[in-house]
Amino acid sequence: MKRYLVSLLIIIGFCTSAVAVELEAPSARIISLAPSVTEILYALGLGDHIVGVTTFCDYPEEAKMKPKIGGMSNPSLEAVLSLKPDMVVLTTDGNPKEFEERLIELKVKTFVFHARRLSELPGGIRELGATLGVKNKADKLAREIESGISKLNKSPFVSHPSSIKKKVLFIVWPEPLMVAGPGTVIDDAIELLDCENIAGETKTTYPKYSIEEVIHRAPDVIFIGKSMGVDMRSVSEGVLSRMNSVPAIKSGKVFYVSDKLFRLGPRVVKGIEELAECLK
Amino acid sequence: MSKVRITLLAVFAILIAAGSVFLGPRIISPFGISDTDWIILINIRLPRVLVAMLMGMALGASGALLQGILRNPLADPYILGISSGASLTAAIGIIGGMSFLGAFTIPALAFVGAVLTGGIVGGMGWKRGGLWPERLLLAGVGLSFLFSALLMLMMSVSTDEGLRRAMLWIFGDLSMSEWSRIPYGLAFVVTGLLLSATRAKALNALILGDEFAHSLGFAPQRERLVLFIAVGLMTAASVSLGGMIGFIGLLVPHIMRFFLGADSRLLIPASALGGGTLLCIADLISRSLLPPMELPAGVITAIIGAPYFLYLLRRKNVLAI
Repeated sequence: MKRYLVSLLIIIGFCTSAVAVELEAPSARIISLAPSVTEILYALGLGDHIVGVTTFCDYPEEAKMKPKIGGMSNPSLEAVLSLKPDMVVLTTDGNPKEFEERLIELKVKTFVFHARRLSELPGGIRELGATLGVKNKADKLAREIESGISKLNKSPFVSHPSSIKKKVLFIVWPEPLMVAGPGTVIDDAIELLDCENIAGETKTTYPKYSIEEVIHRAPDVIFIGKSMGVDMRSVSEGVLSRMNSVPAIKSGKVFYVSDKLFRLGPRVVKGIEELAECLK
Repeated sequence: MSKVRITLLAVFAILIAAGSVFLGPRIISPFGISDTDWIILINIRLPRVLVAMLMGMALGASGALLQGILRNPLADPYILGISSGASLTAAIGIIGGMSFLGAFTIPALAFVGAVLTGGIVGGMGWKRGGLWPERLLLAGVGLSFLFSALLMLMMSVSTDEGLRRAMLWIFGDLSMSEWSRIPYGLAFVVTGLLLSATRAKALNALILGDEFAHSLGFAPQRERLVLFIAVGLMTAASVSLGGMIGFIGLLVPHIMRFFLGADSRLLIPASALGGGTLLCIADLISRSLLPPMELPAGVITAIIGAPYFLYLLRRKNVLAI
């Protein structure tokens, strides 16, 4: 019985992959394995074609109503297959490589969204759009992001009269202190705004950071990113009180910002604008 | 002779503690302290070293006590499930982003979890008017499995970032040590140490068997209960101060037995001092190795402690509990 089921699944897999080759937009059934990808797909007008998302896909509102296929690091293969996708979009950041391999073995068509940095986002969107048959829309979205970025780069507050860069710390979680390190979109954003990320030369992307070092490096501005359903102000009270000698806290330059920069998606420009607004 | 050794150990512990306040990713010279250095010294390093000492002492002493109470060389403070209970409640708080007591929320949750679990284990181990070592041990192991499973369940449905936060806390995190945590930590650890120091003789007798203890004039069940409460208090305080730090509770008492013998009157204070010193060194390494990043101290205790233990095992005669 089991064997029949397995072969049945394989046959289904074959059938769906046969459809996927052409991937005419109207007939495509897409599964997104990352919140950032879900946002991009919606921005490309493919919302109606999404048949499955992760439990963390919460933007836009409609994404919450889509069938769930599990988390990012532990998606359910069964749930994915049962939705008969023509295309599964994965990321290199959050999804396990083995999952992609399993999908390929089962003849499910996959697309891996490689972009991890701000500069790679427009290219990634174009590539994704070309694969999904929405080349023009993707190009438009990519250009929007590109122009948004270059506008930010040229805005007047970015160029300081002196060559002294503002020192910035972006706190991802206060206890234990985790901050945005190199290789993150946040680090890119800080650089774009011509500031210095004081955690810019650590070894990992979101390091557990030493409070001593924060005091030593004396950031001028501290951003605290929002986490879903958490009151960041009260959670970060303790850690801020222990580094209250740094200029950022003394001069009241501690800002609680949204989670837009945690996802490399269409809202990323808005996220950078938010930082820029605080830095004015 | 043994008194000399334990005094040496105490001096060594104090030297290490004092030294590690000045050492770190940036060495602070005691002769030219700048304003920033002063802030770091007082607000960050001093409470951190004190918490490391307290935690290490609590773990070392409760390890020595438990190995005696349970007459089992593999016993450690975490075997009773106290830490799993504490981790579970703490993880609920961390993943759920609770903050009803501000920065105190997670330590408070961990403490409540630890005490509740200790109570349940004690209740399960209680039969015919007393605590029975085998029952305690099995109840602890059983509960520990249950709580670990619940913890895994919770982690597997949480977001990746929530997961990482919870992991970092559970693996032992001393970076959050602050002055406000010292008084209650100190109160519980000192109470536990005093309780166990006054009962050390009774523990010696208990190790030889209940009948033997009885014939020496000790009430085995009552002594065991007092010692169990001491272990519970110290373990709860230590988990609440900085999460789970492995190795110390299990192996520091054994290392001390190699040097000082199995007499509980010496072994308990020696294990406490040894545990405190080891955690101080481990924390120093964990914050200095890859600055500005910090590593979990619990990993370092095992990496430096385990090879040393194995070396001693080859060199010395193994002593019974």
